[in-house]
Amino acid sequence: MTLTDLLLRIRALFFRARVEQELEDEVEFHLAMSRRQHLAAGNSEEEAARLARLDFGRVGVIKEDRRGAQGIDAFESALQDIRFALRSFGRNPGFVFTVSGTIALGLGLNLALFTLFNAYVLRPLSIRDPYSLYSFTWSERTGSEHAFSWDEYQQLVKDKPAFSEVVAVQGLYTRVEGHAILGELVTGNYFQMLGIGTTLGRPLVPEDSDAPGREPFVVLSYQAWQSKFGGRPDIVGSRILIRGSPMEVVGVAPRDFQGLTESPRDFWAPLSMAHQLQDGPDLFGAGHPESLEIVGRLHAGQSVSGAEAVLLAWSQRMTANLRKERKPAGILLHSHATSIPLTSELLLVFSPLVAAFALVLILSCTNVASMMLARATARQREIGIRLSLGAVRARLIRQLLTESILLSIPAAIFGLIISRLTIVAVLWTVFATIPKDMLELVHDVAHPVDWRVIGFMIFAALISAFLFGLAPAIQATRVSVISSVHGELNSDLRPSRVRNGMVIAQITVCTLLLIASGALVRTTMAISAFDIGFHTDHVIAVETTENDRRRVIDALSSDPGVDRIAAASSVPLGGLVPTVMASSQNGPTISTAHNDVSPDYFEMLGIPLSRGRNFTALEATSEAPVAILSAGAAARFFPGLDPLGQTIRLGTTARVVRVIGIASDIVTCCIAYGKDAALVYRPATASKTGNVLLHVRGEVETERHRLDTRVRALAPGAINDIHSLDQYRAMGIYAFRAASMIGAAVGGLALLLTLSGIYGVVSYFVTQRTKEIGIRVALGATTFMITGLVLKQSLRLTAIGIVAGVVLGAGVARLLASQMVFMRDFDVTAFTVGVLLVLSTALAAGYIPSHRAAQIDPIQTLRYD
Amino acid sequence: MPKRSRLDLLQGTLDLLVLRTLQSGDALHGWAISERIREISENVLQANQGSLYPALHRLEHQGWIKAEWGVSELGRRARFYRLTSSGRKQLQQEAENWTRLAAAIGKVLEMA
Repeated sequence: MTLTDLLLRIRALFFRARVEQELEDEVEFHLAMSRRQHLAAGNSEEEAARLARLDFGRVGVIKEDRRGAQGIDAFESALQDIRFALRSFGRNPGFVFTVSGTIALGLGLNLALFTLFNAYVLRPLSIRDPYSLYSFTWSERTGSEHAFSWDEYQQLVKDKPAFSEVVAVQGLYTRVEGHAILGELVTGNYFQMLGIGTTLGRPLVPEDSDAPGREPFVVLSYQAWQSKFGGRPDIVGSRILIRGSPMEVVGVAPRDFQGLTESPRDFWAPLSMAHQLQDGPDLFGAGHPESLEIVGRLHAGQSVSGAEAVLLAWSQRMTANLRKERKPAGILLHSHATSIPLTSELLLVFSPLVAAFALVLILSCTNVASMMLARATARQREIGIRLSLGAVRARLIRQLLTESILLSIPAAIFGLIISRLTIVAVLWTVFATIPKDMLELVHDVAHPVDWRVIGFMIFAALISAFLFGLAPAIQATRVSVISSVHGELNSDLRPSRVRNGMVIAQITVCTLLLIASGALVRTTMAISAFDIGFHTDHVIAVETTENDRRRVIDALSSDPGVDRIAAASSVPLGGLVPTVMASSQNGPTISTAHNDVSPDYFEMLGIPLSRGRNFTALEATSEAPVAILSAGAAARFFPGLDPLGQTIRLGTTARVVRVIGIASDIVTCCIAYGKDAALVYRPATASKTGNVLLHVRGEVETERHRLDTRVRALAPGAINDIHSLDQYRAMGIYAFRAASMIGAAVGGLALLLTLSGIYGVVSYFVTQRTKEIGIRVALGATTFMITGLVLKQSLRLTAIGIVAGVVLGAGVARLLASQMVFMRDFDVTAFTVGVLLVLSTALAAGYIPSHRAAQIDPIQTLRYD
Repeated sequence: MPKRSRLDLLQGTLDLLVLRTLQSGDALHGWAISERIREISENVLQANQGSLYPALHRLEHQGWIKAEWGVSELGRRARFYRLTSSGRKQLQQEAENWTRLAAAIGKVLEMA
């Protein structure tokens, strides 16, 4: 746009009446001159006026045309475009339905993902001023995060550095009335600081935690009240047993509040109850245990970086007298505005999912772009005529884009419906397939359609409209005016090149998605089939509170259903194994996992001792300085040596232990990481250490329920956790199962879209070349040759797309394989199956139109033109 | 003389003709421009009057011609157009393009 142009436009905008008047004057003058000429030629006055008007054309039309050129009526022309588009849609409802349906598929999938992302990550918690809430701690020089002692919290309350209010929180995981319960002990100002009330009863108030142990009050979450306490209306005032202590329910939290973290909280009790409810040293005692988390509200107007500086100074003061490695290395301030804070790590973890979903939307757009292009080519004559009548190309492109945007409106609405259905289906699938012990820990967050979701919908729909509309609009208006008026269509047009490009892109994306999801499915299969090195069947792991350990063990060992009992500090497959730096004499120092187990452990789980012997009962009770190494550990500590009788020094304990046996490798930590690289077993007994493992005779879930109920009657709240090892295993695999289900769904959808995309393009190709094919048939081409001709076209594109997809797929697989133990760099099966699927889809999609081409009657087609 | 039909102007060529008409430096109004095109081309070229004014307007927006109000030979108010210096350059360039194109087409036709 030149400067003159701009100035003239501005003038037209502001002095519209005057500009219009000038326009009228100019036309009037022209007509006057024309009349004079016709008069001079001997016409009557009336005749001259008529001829002049005839010469000029319809006055109104001209003026409208000039107004358009002046660009003062963008709004009016937009309305015109909309009316025009709606008229043409009305003539072709099938087209509208296909386009908006295809876009809605891709859009709906992405909208569902965004809705869930919004619910957890973007939507602020419904608490007062969520954006000023931060958790506060520091990382120590050892790398571990600092936990606060009661004294430190008191000091923080007194000093109030950067915070106007602070609360201290301590997690508590136990079982109540047969349900896993995750609660929090909080300081009395918790509800006050968050500014939330209750659905029933009252919240906790500062007076509740005035003095330690006096006030056994608890507030339940709405969801826990409904699902774990039967939604009893008289819940307020009743008593529940938490870890064996009777607690009075004083209130039920609002439905939309389940705590500040991603895992839902079931109850809140005063921190002053810690003495009764928690194991280990007394929070308020002389031991000053460090077990509190701090959440605070920053002063109004306090910046995060400013707060960090203030808190760093404060933490340095607090740790002035401590050892060097306990001093703060960095302040950690994390926002608590949403369930899950939006961090770059989170985005990184989700990026493959986002990328896959975005690719599906792009596939839908490509499909529609291809349809639009076909339609635009069919409209070449119309467009050519409009161009030759003086229509401006930009105006035509604008008009075609208006159509795209209009089409994206029903697409967005369908998409929203599809997204709601998808979410329902996903949640249903999750609830149907998740290991049921895991279900109690899933956060059932509200996922409403709020302004963020609507905003995303509009944004994504507009982006799609441009994606599928712009290329065809530009292509379609690249028409030679003369040839189109003469009816010679698409001589100058190269839509086929664009369309071929789109088909190739589609096949590439589809191949990539299929390979990636195939690799994921294969990984899940590999994990599921992986030999973990021991038997999980009929084994139940029980975690008890320290106080009741004796009673629980007595009850369990005398139970007729239990035929063997063992102990382990870490439950195998439990997801947590401590590691320690250990060294052999003159040998390497290695980070090794360690597990304290009773002698029965190996036999119960069927872990063979390949060499040496098991721990004796005496070694177990006396915690003798002996160890059994996993085969992996033996090979790493004593390469080429006989490990039996050798000694190793275990990290911080500085204890030297003698190796008495070698056990086969098993998975102790996490099934996703494979077998432990190195593991050291130390002797222990059930009466002293960690988790109790039970081998039961009967059906494991029935027995689990029976034992849980039995112990509860005997010692309420004594069992913190009770799961079968089969459940642990299922929980370890579930994330992969879920990922491969999503992968399979995305891959299937991609395949479907590609199928329809190729079908559309090949059909169009056949229609375009009907005449040529007719001639070929007339000249003696066989059905086979014609089918081959058409299929060759689509297979050529498919081949290019597949090669590109395989190259990209190999890159993606490498990337994923570097993150996942069980994923292979180049999984031949996944690649082969992916390629074969795409290839057969392309063949199937091409076959029907090619078959139709072969049926073309040469006489008919030649007569047509 | 064989009867020659009037040719419709191709898109784009109208701009060229308008610029050429104004090359003399005189300020002309729309009517005069359309008449001059017809006269010079010996009635062969007929500027579609309906497209003339949009064309004038387009050229004005491009800054190639400048419009001002004046009084016509009939004593009426009329809008006069004059070539600007950038319009002169544009004319030169378009004229060259046109000549090259015409020559090329001529060669092709002779050959055929």
